[in-house]
Amino acid sequence: MKNVAIVACGLAPFGVRKATWRELVQEASKAVFDDVQNLDKKDIDSLFVGAAMPERFAFQSHVAPLVAEQVGIVPHKVVTRTELACSSGQSAVRTAWASIVTGLSDIALCLGVEKMNMPNMLETQTSMACVLEREWDGVQGASAPPFFAMCAQRHMHEYGTTVEQMAMVSEKNHHFSTTNPYAQFQKEIPAEKVLGSPMIAPPLRLFDCSGITDGAAAVILTSEERAKEFTDVPTYIIGSGQCSMASNLANYKSLSTWHPMKIAAKEAYRSAKIGPMDLDFAEVHDCFTISEIIEYEDAGFCEKGEGGKFIEEGQSNIGGKMPINTRGGLLGTGHPLGATGIGQIVEVMQQFRSTVPKERLVDGAEMAMAHNLSGAANVHSILVFGRSPR
Amino acid sequence: MTTIVLPYMLDFYPLQDEDNTRIHQFYASLREGKLTTTKCKDCGGLFWPPRVACPGCNSDQFEWVELLDEGELYAFTAMLLGAPLGMEKDVPFVLGMVQLDGTEFKVLSRIGNTKYEDCSLGMRVKLETYDLEDGRVWFRFVPITSD
Ligand SMILES: [Zn+2]
Repeated sequence: MKNVAIVACGLAPFGVRKATWRELVQEASKAVFDDVQNLDKKDIDSLFVGAAMPERFAFQSHVAPLVAEQVGIVPHKVVTRTELACSSGQSAVRTAWASIVTGLSDIALCLGVEKMNMPNMLETQTSMACVLEREWDGVQGASAPPFFAMCAQRHMHEYGTTVEQMAMVSEKNHHFSTTNPYAQFQKEIPAEKVLGSPMIAPPLRLFDCSGITDGAAAVILTSEERAKEFTDVPTYIIGSGQCSMASNLANYKSLSTWHPMKIAAKEAYRSAKIGPMDLDFAEVHDCFTISEIIEYEDAGFCEKGEGGKFIEEGQSNIGGKMPINTRGGLLGTGHPLGATGIGQIVEVMQQFRSTVPKERLVDGAEMAMAHNLSGAANVHSILVFGRSPR
Repeated sequence: MTTIVLPYMLDFYPLQDEDNTRIHQFYASLREGKLTTTKCKDCGGLFWPPRVACPGCNSDQFEWVELLDEGELYAFTAMLLGAPLGMEKDVPFVLGMVQLDGTEFKVLSRIGNTKYEDCSLGMRVKLETYDLEDGRVWFRFVPITSD
């Protein structure tokens, strides 16, 4: 299979932004084109826009041509939007990757964006409930926090995980995001402060949850053959796995083991011809503190049930067995749905290039993965990256 | 005819009559206090929620079967902040996944007549149906009291 490389990356600052959806697009576009050398925009033949709910958050559909015009390109091989809720951004990159592998596309722009802060935040909350099955689950008043709260309850019940361990995940990721000027939250949040924050859906408190965030992120992909024209340090896609299992909550096998993640991870490692511990660091989807703990386990970084111990021992910090979410994760950086997956890949690329601040640099890293879950953790998407091609 | 108060795009409840859905029988049974679903006549597959085409064998021949209306709490939490439009007045409310007796289904539901602090894993609950303000019908589960 043809090797594909990411050759440029760029971010719009994440946060409660005084900017519109299309302005976030322009910021990410400027950042990614500032980052790339020797690229004529006319040579971008494909565009993939990751956007989860522009219809509900920005009252805008048919967003791909809007992005193409803002960016100043005329894509003429593939132009489309990818939607997979919280994984919409990674979906754009996965789809662009596949298109380059087949030879259909030569150079592709992937841009992920979400504008989630609205004048009436209740409208945002309402729309978030339709990420679940609206007619059967959302209708009961459920949304992400109650779902992940029940995952936490089951994990605590089955494995003895504690709220203190969950708070440590928040502390770690907020600590990393103090090094990230693009993050929504740039202040330390010690574990005690997490444990004293308002209860949202027990046992989850405010700082167990990622934010409601505006943001955008972009990357440019091309084949291995052309990659060095555009950057000295390309980031290669060397493995992939993705799995969808169940939709209605009634049909879940478990809340404390995410079976579709185990399947996606197994395939990602198989296709990259590696084991989990061959990775040097990972970006995983910490939409809530409990998510990161379950992900340590179901990604294979520790035994089942030992995720709480993994954070307590500092194994997910720099210097531990597997540094996790060095840019600050979703907890620290914020979670603009369509931008999140690409924001993670920007971190991978900047780590490989050693351009992140020293405090969060994983020195000499050669391999990493980016993981997203979407909806009620029923879809898991993983891409594996290498500093060298496979 | 249902009169929906919120704009349709902010209305969570399904349209329930036969002009709008092929599973209107589910809602008619619910009005009689019964929780039902479809069972495939060809492969015997039992699915939640009800279907009009079988994901197992591709049949479209179904019969309605009544499910047991009791179960136990597999997991639960409470909505304290951030409820959707139209549900703000219900806050705080308990949400739980009910492991329905005799099935594999863990049906997500409001848990009424109780507080979060009074719930426990494995707690026995039973179905309760109620009318929405606009005439549609819906369901929740409530604790089974021992007396
Ligand atoms: Zn069948």
